[in-house]
Amino acid sequence: MPSKNKSKLKRSILCWLALSPLVIVILLPFAVMLLTAIKPADEVLSYPPRWLPSRIAWENFFVMWEETQFGTALKNSIVISTLSTVLAVGISIPAAYAMARFRFAGQAGYRRFLLVTQMLSPILLVLGLFRLAAAIPYGDGNLVDTHIGVIATYTALNTAFAVWMLQSYFATIPHDMEEAAWLEGCSKPRAVLKVFLPLAMPAMVVTGIFTFINAWNEFAVIYTLIRSAENKTVTVQIVDLVAGRYTVNWHHVMAAALLATLPVAVLFSWLQKYLVKGLSLGAVK
Amino acid sequence: MTRTHTKILLSLGTALLGMSTAHAETVRIAVAHYSDQTLPYFEKMAKEFSKANPGITIKVEEVNWDSLQQKLQTDIVGGTNPDLSIVATRWLLDLVKDDVVEPLDARMTPSFKDKFIGAFINSGKVASKTYGLPISASARGLYYNKAMLEKAGYSNGPKTWDEVIAASKKIKATGAYGFGIQGKEIETEIYWFYSLWTNGGEVVDANGKAVFDSAAGIKAANIYKSLIDQGLTQPGVTSNSREDVQNLFKQGRLGMVITAPFLAKQIQKEKPGLQYGVTAIPQGSNAATFATTDSLILFKNSKVKTAAWQFSEFLFSKAARVAFTSGEGFLPTTKEEAADPAFNDAVTQSFISYLPTAKFAPVIAGWEDLSKIVANAMQAVYLGKSKPEDALKAAALQANKMLKK
Amino acid sequence: MSKRPLAPWLLILPSFALALFIVSYPFFNIVWQSVHEVSRFGQVRDFSGVANFATIFADPVFMTTLWRTLVWTVCVVGGTVLVAVPASLILVQDFYGRGLARTITMLPWSISLTMTAIIWRWAFNDEFGLINLGLQQLGIINQPLHWLADPALAFPLEIMIGILVSVPFTVTIFLGGLSSVPTDIYEAARMEGANAWQQFRKLTLPLLRPFINIAIVLNVIYVFNSFPIIWVMTQGGPDNGTHILVTYLYELAFRLGRPGEAAAVSLVMLLMLLAFTGLYMRMQRGEHAE
Repeated sequence: MPSKNKSKLKRSILCWLALSPLVIVILLPFAVMLLTAIKPADEVLSYPPRWLPSRIAWENFFVMWEETQFGTALKNSIVISTLSTVLAVGISIPAAYAMARFRFAGQAGYRRFLLVTQMLSPILLVLGLFRLAAAIPYGDGNLVDTHIGVIATYTALNTAFAVWMLQSYFATIPHDMEEAAWLEGCSKPRAVLKVFLPLAMPAMVVTGIFTFINAWNEFAVIYTLIRSAENKTVTVQIVDLVAGRYTVNWHHVMAAALLATLPVAVLFSWLQKYLVKGLSLGAVK
Repeated sequence: MTRTHTKILLSLGTALLGMSTAHAETVRIAVAHYSDQTLPYFEKMAKEFSKANPGITIKVEEVNWDSLQQKLQTDIVGGTNPDLSIVATRWLLDLVKDDVVEPLDARMTPSFKDKFIGAFINSGKVASKTYGLPISASARGLYYNKAMLEKAGYSNGPKTWDEVIAASKKIKATGAYGFGIQGKEIETEIYWFYSLWTNGGEVVDANGKAVFDSAAGIKAANIYKSLIDQGLTQPGVTSNSREDVQNLFKQGRLGMVITAPFLAKQIQKEKPGLQYGVTAIPQGSNAATFATTDSLILFKNSKVKTAAWQFSEFLFSKAARVAFTSGEGFLPTTKEEAADPAFNDAVTQSFISYLPTAKFAPVIAGWEDLSKIVANAMQAVYLGKSKPEDALKAAALQANKMLKK
Repeated sequence: MSKRPLAPWLLILPSFALALFIVSYPFFNIVWQSVHEVSRFGQVRDFSGVANFATIFADPVFMTTLWRTLVWTVCVVGGTVLVAVPASLILVQDFYGRGLARTITMLPWSISLTMTAIIWRWAFNDEFGLINLGLQQLGIINQPLHWLADPALAFPLEIMIGILVSVPFTVTIFLGGLSSVPTDIYEAARMEGANAWQQFRKLTLPLLRPFINIAIVLNVIYVFNSFPIIWVMTQGGPDNGTHILVTYLYELAFRLGRPGEAAAVSLVMLLMLLAFTGLYMRMQRGEHAE
């Protein structure tokens, strides 16, 4: 109906207007990234500074790719983030199920324990983590400089958030479906697998996305545990280009940052509808 | 083949195998990132050494200066430290106290010892024992923009602080910045020490007590403060790290900056058209410069000390040294390097000429804390939050408390 | 329905065991270091009892840093909630391009915090930063501003960036909460003559309360421990003017060579957070669903 569309149009304009300050401030760093990444080397530090480059310096991306071994770093980021996510979600699902479906003595204590694991910032933990990793034999050395050490750490540190997220979803899924299955003679575990988990899928996907992003962007732990260049992730390589260098090649840094952020941003846009739906009761219907 | 033949062959083969595996060693070395040249250089050296010494592999790990201390700390705690490492010479005291570095005197042949330029090898000694070999050395000098200073009437650069002030006034009138002062991040306190030392002041006295709040110190701080107050420096001093100030100089917007030889290499690469000169740090009552070394150390818990030492000797051979030092824009630390024509250029020779009046950072426990205390005090002065006399007196009090003097 | 009491314990076992294993050793390491004298390179020396704690409490920098950390946390978390509530109220409306708006709001989450800080530091660079360029072109200022030179300007800037990076997470939580609110109650309220503000106060806010609470608790924990923004932009300076506890402890451990004191600071931080969450949860008792 035309009047409904007109009011939606009016509402859209108002909403965008109200959001515009936030949108501008959010998009500003991305604009800076993009503009600096495509500037030729001598225009980055030009004075007076200009917004637009005289030409698009595609070579920045290639040079940066070589310099930071971006391909390898990307592969490492993907492997570590994916495995951490799968593992974290994997062990969090049963825990969240227990918290949502059962009442048992350790419930409050477990919740408190998870909260405490969030309170210890990785900065505080790195020395101890390193020692721990150095003490555990693996392969022909120890867990330092291995993917496994990092994955185990990320899994442990992300568990709290994953359990919390999953638990809030699970609690909104009514018992009836499972109970119906039990009454029909289905064994409990099978009921959970066949009836419950499919319903919980959006929740698991959303939790997985969050865990993936946390792992992708993490810095302190991986910086401490990983040594050789061929094991470094994208986040570490980029910070290495800046921290403590005598000169910083900002065009390369921004080019790298752009490439590192793009996959995650795309992932977001694809999943934003999942995100909100998954968080609400609506997912169950 | 008879059985005996086979047996002989087998045992020969095993013996040979044993011999080669007995020599298959890996030496791990951590190097600090100085420039894009650093890693390629060390990897090249590693390859050359391995070719000449089959059975020894060198594994090079490059670390940013910012995180070197943290990495070393975690490594040492975890027992996974490399065999060799480049460290800031000022860390030697703590490393020796923790008993993790190997004393090198016994391994150094007299001819090896003799290679080094006296001042530099001495900086790596703790309690008269050598623990660090000077792998990189640097001094400080005043870079000046030739065109700007010529117009200001000092075509060979200013020689005294008064001349710096006069020249900066003229440069300011043309719309550029006069004298660059670093107010942020690493070596902020050193930048002020240039003024302190050339006005007859000292950081600590012979007993290790902080004395930078002397009359000389207050004068030195006042010089910088008046430069800032009169607008003769770049604006926003405390948001400028050394890199920022150097960038302004490279842009041709800053007349003078005090820094190390590597700036010349950067200018050559990034702004070869810039006309600049190098002169000694401006004098107050005397000449002085800051000299610093980074040291190569051998860890006590290394399992391949002999191989690691062999590599160290290789790194200090003439060819290896010339390649490294000239590539990075440092100063030669061995006599045979210094004689090489690669260092005959005006800039390097100038820096070498300042060495007689060079001051090194005293190797005392708590130097890092002291540096931070002084840097904080100077930042307060630069921001106008504190008067030089008050800031320095308070800082000296704090420093002495920390130093327990 | 047989309820085996063992089942829930088995279900939480894997996550509990792993988290305990990874976290407990470093935790005990911190406690151990805090009661010993520790050298620059991490060698634990003599037992020093509460000496490290006494040192830090006598340190004037520690006390001002503690206060500043409270200011930081309150401002960032408060600011985040104040921005996130209206933002989520808008984003839950039906309007054209809502999907795009939601994606944009989440974008800060897609960059690592360290990278965000690096980019903002570059944007605020005195001479070459695009912020000064933009402001000068718009005629708002005619000289470049020295954003990071003075703590009085740098710290509020860092707070704003802290808010910016916390908004996506908080908005996500609120959107979830708002989406679960049935729309009919608004119809009923409107028919009874309630205006928009009253609807918000009496209907939306109470339903949103549990989500606001969890957002506050989690944000306080993350913001309190948030290291990269301040470290990358000002390293806690100039003159210790922007230090918060976590950046100060990093400086103590990895620059000044005093890991024992850094460990003591870590424990103080942990105790502060435990106290906060304990008190806050107690105040909010009653709206936990199960």
